[in-house]
Formats: sequence, structure tokens, C-alpha cells
Amino acid sequence: MLKPLLTHLLEHLSDQNQWARQALLPFAGKTVRFNLPPTSASLTILEDGGLAMAGETAQYEASVSLTPSLALRLLAKDTAAQTQIKVEGDTELATTLAKVLQGMKWDYEEDLSRVFGDISATKISEFGQHVVHTAKKQSINLAEMLTEYWQEELPLIAKKRHIEKFVQEVDQLRDDTARLEKRLAKLTAIK
Amino acid sequence: MSENKQTHFGFQSVNENEKARKVGEVFHSVAKKYDLMNDVMSAGLHRSWKRFAVSVSGVKAGDKVLDVAGGSGDLSRLFAKKVGPTGQVVLTDINASMLAVGRDRLIDDGAAVPALQCDAEKLPFPDNYFDCVIVAFGLRNMTHKDKALAEMRRVLKSGGRLLVLEFSQVWKPLAPIYDAYSFKLLPMMGKLFAKDAESYQYLAESIRMHPDQETLKQMMLDAGLGKVDYYNLAAGVVALHKGWKL
Repeated sequence: MLKPLLTHLLEHLSDQNQWARQALLPFAGKTVRFNLPPTSASLTILEDGGLAMAGETAQYEASVSLTPSLALRLLAKDTAAQTQIKVEGDTELATTLAKVLQGMKWDYEEDLSRVFGDISATKISEFGQHVVHTAKKQSINLAEMLTEYWQEELPLIAKKRHIEKFVQEVDQLRDDTARLEKRLAKLTAIK
Repeated sequence: MSENKQTHFGFQSVNENEKARKVGEVFHSVAKKYDLMNDVMSAGLHRSWKRFAVSVSGVKAGDKVLDVAGGSGDLSRLFAKKVGPTGQVVLTDINASMLAVGRDRLIDDGAAVPALQCDAEKLPFPDNYFDCVIVAFGLRNMTHKDKALAEMRRVLKSGGRLLVLEFSQVWKPLAPIYDAYSFKLLPMMGKLFAKDAESYQYLAESIRMHPDQETLKQMMLDAGLGKVDYYNLAAGVVALHKGWKL
């Protein structure tokens, strides 16, 4: 049940992002495996540049592996996290597909307009965006509030300046120890 | 010599020459209510499986598609939308009754799809002609599956795809439930909806006699396809095999 559903969704997304088909067309017939422990999935590029879930016995030409924490960072649009993705096999294929998947946009307003009409679809879409924006804002507020509470009222989290001070002290101690070791070595040599 | 060769017709063993006629009788009998029965038997899932096959085909505007044993023409209709006015879809079936149902429906829908009565083992098309050939729920009724597969490969262009959508081997733990459904409930539903229990008994038996996923994959490779992959659908009740002519 899942394969037809996911393939249908991918086909729908490809139809809405025709540029993606053009980008993937040179890799038609190739398969990429995505490993995100504990799960993995393979995607095949079709002859029309579309995407489908790969079959049971598909051989993959490239694999992309990432940890759950890395996936979360990528979702949060952390560009530094992109350098930590492990790619094996045909890197050009994997990189192109990863870029396409990141760049694909779901035009939900267009889909809604087919059911509710253009005006209602725009209103629903605006309302949805407002809800998401408010939820995001509230989540950030809550996170900041909890951080402040755990730093000031019930110290569970160290403040940035305390960590920096601690790191400086550790550096100082390491340097002092190194100097002491050298002095001791010199004194031992004189004897 | 060949007249004495035996093949299976459901669980029965029949003369090879007889099989086509017997299968013809079954489909002549069920033609009018074929889609209704498919809906009842699969709870509408056959439509999802067919749409999936079309999605996975990779067919694009302007392509040429051959729908073998296409019967009621629902796949041809889906493909006709995909290939657009610059492409071409041809519907074929060995059974005149089934083909007439498909042809009439396509005409009613305004789809310009030629319908052709022919044997899948002797396709009347030139070599390297189609971008995609599909046979959905038809291969198991063919007397010489190997010949039919080789013939379908012949008419494919290089890089073309052969798709075989067919009942297959269900996931083992579900087999007892599936058997009870196929041999008890299916003929009853056939009697109730199509007034034809025997034909649906044959359908259930023919599904059991059809090669499993791996065997069919090997048969497709033996027919000369360069690469074959398959998808299990509904826990293996149905499998979609996709083979490439390299």
C-alpha cells in the first residue's frame, strides 16, 4: 500500500516541479538508496525524469547516509550539516537527487484550489501559513522561556559565558602543565 | 507432436490447443461484468495497482505504448492521457468479447485508441516499435508464456520497458486467509454478481498456477530482457515486474 501511495505523491511533486524532471532525466533508470537508521528507502529515477520508489530487487548506484540528528539539522536548514552527509557510489547522481529533493516545493494552494476553488484555497493557505508561523513563534518563545528558567531559576544549563570561561581555564591549565613538564625535564637533564 | 502437449487450465491439465479456447470461453462469459467483479474482488485496489503501473512505466508525452490483453481498456485510457496527442496507445486482446467492451468504452470516453484482436504470442507489429509494453492480469492465461514474453520484448525499442502486472505469491503468513478467500468466497461472489461461479473458480486456480515473483523475473530475463525488477503490492497478492530491453 505504501509504495503506490509514495510513488503517487512523488509523481505529483514531479509534475508540480517540472525543472526537477529535466535535472533528473540524464540519470534515468538509476537508483539511490537513502539510509536513515533505523530505516532506509530507495528511489528510482524514471525514464521521464520522474521519481518512484525502487522495487524489491533494485540495485542502487549510489547511497546517501545520514544520522537522525543530522536529518534534523538539515530540516532546520543548517547549511553546515550538508557537508556531513555520507555519499557513496555515483556522487554526481546522489548530489543531484539530494539537491532536487531539497528544492522541490509542494504547491498545496494549487491542490486546494481544485477542491475548494481559487479564493477559498488562498484563504485556507494564508490561514495555514499563519497557524504555522504562530506555532513556530510560540515554540521559540517557549524554548527561550525554559532556557532562561533552567539558567537563572533552576540552573540546569550552563550559560555561554560560563562555558567560555571554563574552556579558557582548561586551556590555561593545559599550558601551565606543559610549561611545568618542560621545566622538570630541564632540571632532570641538569642533574 | 505438439497436439499431445499438455498445459494447465487452472488445476486441470488440458491439451495445449484447448487452453486458448477454454480461456476464451471464461472471458467471453465474464466480459460484461469484468470490471465490476474486479472492483468487488479487490475492493477497488486493482485501480490503484494499475495507476501504480502507469506511474512506474516512465511513459512520457509522445511515447508509443502497447497494452497486451488489455480487455476492458482501463490501462489504455490511463496511458492515452500520459502520451497525449503526439503519442500512440494500441489496445490488443485475443478475446473479441473483452476487446469489444474496451473498444466501446474508449470510444465513449473520446480516446482515439486502436483496438486490435491478436494473439500475444504472435504480435502483428514490427521490431523495436514501442517505448513500453504492458500486460496486466493477462500473462497467466497465455499458453506459452515464454513465447509471449519474447514477442513483447521483440516489439520494444532499445531502452523500452516491459511491465507485467499479475497475481503472484502472497506473503506466507497471509496464505491461509488468502486461500480461503480465493476458493470459498471468490466463486460465491462470482455466482452472486456475475452468475458464473465456474469462471471465478478458474481465476482463483490460475492465480495459484502462475509463477511466483522470482520465477517470473527469471522468465523475463530468459526472454532476453537485460534487467528486471519487481514490486510486491498488497503483500505479494499482486506483483509488478518491470524489465528493460537493453
